[in-house]
Amino acid sequence: MTRSNAGSLADLQRAFQDYVLASQPAFTAQVRDTSKADRITLLNVYREGYALRLIEVLESDFPGVRAMASPEDFDHAARAYIAAHPSRHPSVRWFGKAFADFLAAAAPYDETPAAAEMARFEWALGEAFDSVDVEPLRAEAVMTVPPEAWETIAFAPLPSLRRLAFTHDVPPSWQRREEVEPGALGVAALGTTVPWMIWRPERMSNFRSLEADEAVMLDAMVEGRPFPALCEALLPHVGEDQAAARAAGLLRSWVEEGLIASFSH
Amino acid sequence: MEYTGGMENVGFGLGLRHEHYEEILAAPGKVEWFEALSENYMIAGGMPLYWLDTFRRDYPMALHGVSLSIGSIDPLDEDYLKDLATLIDRVEPMWVSDHLCFTGLRGINLHDLLPLPYTEEALDHVAERVMRVQDRLRRRLVLENVSSYVTYAASELTEWEFIAQLCQRADCEMLLDVNNIYVSAFNHEFDPKDFLRGIPRERVRQFHLAGHTNNGTHIVDTHDHPIVGGVWDLYAEAVRLFPGVPTMIERDANIPPYGELLAELDVARGIAERVMRAPAHEAAE
Ligand SMILES: [Fe+2]
Repeated sequence: MTRSNAGSLADLQRAFQDYVLASQPAFTAQVRDTSKADRITLLNVYREGYALRLIEVLESDFPGVRAMASPEDFDHAARAYIAAHPSRHPSVRWFGKAFADFLAAAAPYDETPAAAEMARFEWALGEAFDSVDVEPLRAEAVMTVPPEAWETIAFAPLPSLRRLAFTHDVPPSWQRREEVEPGALGVAALGTTVPWMIWRPERMSNFRSLEADEAVMLDAMVEGRPFPALCEALLPHVGEDQAAARAAGLLRSWVEEGLIASFSH
Repeated sequence: MEYTGGMENVGFGLGLRHEHYEEILAAPGKVEWFEALSENYMIAGGMPLYWLDTFRRDYPMALHGVSLSIGSIDPLDEDYLKDLATLIDRVEPMWVSDHLCFTGLRGINLHDLLPLPYTEEALDHVAERVMRVQDRLRRRLVLENVSSYVTYAASELTEWEFIAQLCQRADCEMLLDVNNIYVSAFNHEFDPKDFLRGIPRERVRQFHLAGHTNNGTHIVDTHDHPIVGGVWDLYAEAVRLFPGVPTMIERDANIPPYGELLAELDVARGIAERVMRAPAHEAAE
């Protein structure tokens, strides 16, 4: 027996969704008034509820952006994002995934690049929070590596590691997000690009800025390159005679900070 | 395929909410069980799963989903079912519930519980999907009646007739949300006791209680207020008709301290105790 989707159940669902998303009025004919309320009032419970629910999700996932924008501007940006990016995931937890890209590219929000950077930072914090738990490597484990293994050894970071770069003073401003009135959070331009990272060694997420050479070496490590290649990556920043010592020093601090998950050689 | 469900009364529970994690640790054993929202924990790892495992060690749990979209005309989301099955293996829940509704189509999730028309066509469609989900999860599905705001011109059955036939055909169970019955009865102008009397007694696996917002012309299921008197009265009637069914309170906004919800749960305990102690008298049949 074949079954078609052309029945009234399919028509009703399509019309309902079109009413919620695009205000297509055809659906009103399928709904009844009650003795207390007309059908438009009742349908608006769904239409307005849809927007309000998702605005609330963005408000709670992006408190820093919310602190930067006036309530009206945030509402405007949220509604524009909701229209451009309907949710396609079972959990609202993923709804804000494209918010930073949207703010970076869509007028008029593209005129405030600090907002997109703030959104990117807040999204990365959430990703670190929900990432797979891996116990950080202990310093003792690195001590036991035989000298010849350093030619081939490669390190892997925690799954929670997120690499970011900001042209505005984003993470320090984010820390002040609850101290200011909505719309009053200023995020200064830096005039340069500063590399940052987020990682979660245990239950709490950490974040800090990186030195330029540290960022280059970290990115090489994330790519899975072996230790000699990490030293090489430092060469534009330090002399050839300094590179191995600098690389070893950075590696030691990353292990101490609980940023490294494992190694192989 | 048939799956049996052991109807055990595990007592009174609350929804597991991150706002209460520390308070639950500080005041252990105040509820008999928790209901966890499945989608919050369908992730790779991290803190949400850490907390889930922590509380699961000390409390039985039920899993409650919002995105199965059992009534949608979209194909069943196999990835979703796979993630849910993984979570079920982790939690070993007492039962797994979702809502009798659709949440969107064409791959879009409106994150809302949209009512189905109560028609033979919808009944065929949902029953077939419930059976497929049950075969996939190898357990009975528990479906909750939703609050609804619109009445469809197309509906041929009452909501309770639809539910009773669905349970029969698909061999599934019901999560009776007493507040949702109250809300829908107000909005659609039916007697909430007719609803309760229409549900087969052996199919009720769990009760939900919650607060709502009354706009005068219609009531919206907001889960942001304490439970009102009319819902407590209806709960007493529900306990009389379906004795020994586990009960929990849902609070999703304006979340008060844990202790306040525990006090509200004590009201539910008191009502259930009073009803059970009252001389047995049959409901008008
Ligand atoms: Fe409910």
